[in-house]
Amino acid sequence: MVTRLSAQLPPEVAVALLDTDARSLPAGTATTLQLGRAQTRGMGTGGEAALGLASAESEEAALRRLFAGIPVVVLVTGLGGGTGSGAASVVAGLAAECGATVLSFATMPFSHEGERRMRQANDATVKLGQKCHGLVVVHNDLLLQQVSPDAPLSESFAAADNWVGGALRGLASAFAPGALIAVDPAALRSLLSTPGSPTLFAFGVGQGDGAAMKAARAACDCPLAHAPGAVAKVASLFVTVAGGSAMTSTEAFEAVAAIRARFGGETSTVLCARIEPTLGNRIEVSVLGASLPAPKAPAKPKKGAKAEDPAQPIFEFATEESMRRGLFGGTPMTFIDGQDVDVPAYIRKAVRLPPAP
Amino acid sequence: MTSKPLPSLIAVIDVGTHKTASLLGQIIDGKARMLSFSERRTDGVVKGTVTDLEKLTQCVHEVVNDIERGSGRAVEQVYLSLSGPAAEGERVKGFVAVPAHDGKITAKDVSDAIQSAKRLEPPEGRATILYMRQPTMLDNRPVTNPVGMAGKRLEVNFWRVTMEEGNMRMRVGMVNGMSIKVRDFILASHAAACATASDADKQGVLVIDIGAGTTDWILYYKEHILCAGSIPVGGEHLTNDLSVALRISRETAEDLKLRFGSAMHRENDVNQTIWKDGDKGVGDQQFNRGTITQVLSLRYQETIEFVRKDVLRRLEAIFPGHAVKLDQNMIPSGVILTGGSASLADAAEAVQLVMGLSARVGIPNFENESLRKPEYAGVVGLMTAAITDAPPPVRRPRGFLAQIKELFRL
Repeated sequence: MVTRLSAQLPPEVAVALLDTDARSLPAGTATTLQLGRAQTRGMGTGGEAALGLASAESEEAALRRLFAGIPVVVLVTGLGGGTGSGAASVVAGLAAECGATVLSFATMPFSHEGERRMRQANDATVKLGQKCHGLVVVHNDLLLQQVSPDAPLSESFAAADNWVGGALRGLASAFAPGALIAVDPAALRSLLSTPGSPTLFAFGVGQGDGAAMKAARAACDCPLAHAPGAVAKVASLFVTVAGGSAMTSTEAFEAVAAIRARFGGETSTVLCARIEPTLGNRIEVSVLGASLPAPKAPAKPKKGAKAEDPAQPIFEFATEESMRRGLFGGTPMTFIDGQDVDVPAYIRKAVRLPPAP
Repeated sequence: MTSKPLPSLIAVIDVGTHKTASLLGQIIDGKARMLSFSERRTDGVVKGTVTDLEKLTQCVHEVVNDIERGSGRAVEQVYLSLSGPAAEGERVKGFVAVPAHDGKITAKDVSDAIQSAKRLEPPEGRATILYMRQPTMLDNRPVTNPVGMAGKRLEVNFWRVTMEEGNMRMRVGMVNGMSIKVRDFILASHAAACATASDADKQGVLVIDIGAGTTDWILYYKEHILCAGSIPVGGEHLTNDLSVALRISRETAEDLKLRFGSAMHRENDVNQTIWKDGDKGVGDQQFNRGTITQVLSLRYQETIEFVRKDVLRRLEAIFPGHAVKLDQNMIPSGVILTGGSASLADAAEAVQLVMGLSARVGIPNFENESLRKPEYAGVVGLMTAAITDAPPPVRRPRGFLAQIKELFRL
């Protein structure tokens, strides 16, 4: 996925591929770093998160070198398997220690991938959430809802690529020189200054007449923003509008107004607009938002659990628990036929719901 | 224990995920006359599993106090319902090979076969809660009473329900805490069936009791319990799905489920806009009714599908190698739906669709009109089952009795 994405990114963005499996690190396209050479001998983790974790820890020095002097690190990872689930939080933690603002995109496995992967992914989102400044969780189940039931599997994965790719392009272009309305990485940093607050992400594309509004509307309808439990309104927004040379500032502002009407952004809205001649008559809108952390329910002391050090606050994202399990968040998962049945049936069955009136 | 004659006063407690209900009845000529009834919101149970024993105990004590106060009588012993996946059931068998020279079955042969069935130890760490009689087979033919009949091989079968010992002790202790004994446990699905299915129905009927946290089912065939099971999904999941899909609170979701919900999703639901409060005032919200029925019907039908698969799985375990089909031949009386979520609109239609069997909502047969609702099938049925199942058809082996006595000791 990262290999495919790197081709779409502006040259200012450095791409690094991290994996334990030597075969998935092609030479030439990007910086590669093989994790856990000693632990896995380039064979991958076989789904063991503990092995993924150890592999990442063993490359601490190399990872620190990689992140040195980089202001913004976007970590794209697939959770559920061993490498992503184990290594992601370590990598994010190191990047943050090196002074970068870390934004993570994590894909969750399909419900049908079974209990083990789902549990592993759940655990990983919690750990990852504590390490990075922003976390966007992409549910593979939601991707399925977007394509017709008989579409090939590759199509739903392509949709995932599109969203995450769009997000990366949007972010990257915001900091690249030559923007109509430019921002600097510090803006992103201040937006995501409260680690642990739920992160909103949406992306939309429009084409032809009224492309900006179309793109804004598409972003408002973006399934990522409609994920169950995802934040509905946020305090701060970071909106990037990119379009061909025909895009006017009026158009751009209209789009931003539509986004604000939908997602909020009362406290602050950072706008970035840039002309990207290659887009032609297309306009892309990407939205990143953060609100203050959701008030945490008073934790019930669990039997036998160690008392947490009150001096070390643990940030909690709107992760898997509240995102999909709703009222059952916090209760043990219940599996039937390898699916967590506390997750709404319509999500697991990937049924698209009728639109709101 | 249960070998004692039936008392004239029977108290039953149905502990559900959502509600705890208790009924006190006076037994006159084998029929119960209601003396008092109480129900309260259950605290401390999630998805049919006890999460806060203290809260639950308090809740049980409250309902017992209620029925005592309501009737002016003291409760000394109660029947407790048993539901959810914690109560696991399986078939146990006992054999006797009848000596060839006489070939007539004696009462001793029957009791030997019963003993051999009950000698089978439950899995480590689990206690046997109850045995329910299944058809007796003589040379592979079902017989009602084999004594005096000629045959070579006598087989007795029981549906044995076991529970993790700690869990059982906890439930008993909950009631013992107020100096009340547990007289017996009754399977909640069996209770629901006793309240809603006739003897004729029990020739072949599947009773599905959809509670808030679990869906319990029981299958009767030729008047006997063939098998029973439980799915850890219930009405709360319907509410949860709706609350996630519409981003609304549990209370609003519950309210919309009752007012606009359905177990069937129809094309023209999509064109209906409904209002949360109906006054279109400040804070009122509008929703697409199609979303509500879509979300609920998917969950409802999936839950019934889980039941269908569970029934087939258990039947295959009992009759290995046989292709078992759930059809009108095997289950002529179809499905009876009970429990709170049996009242969801179009529930019977959805069950019919998934099961391929006729289905109806079961109204408990009881003198008191206020309890003639599917949600009370459990508590009413506990009373019915307590009366009809006593005295138990089978004596319990001594080992079991001693074990239970110890557990029930005050």
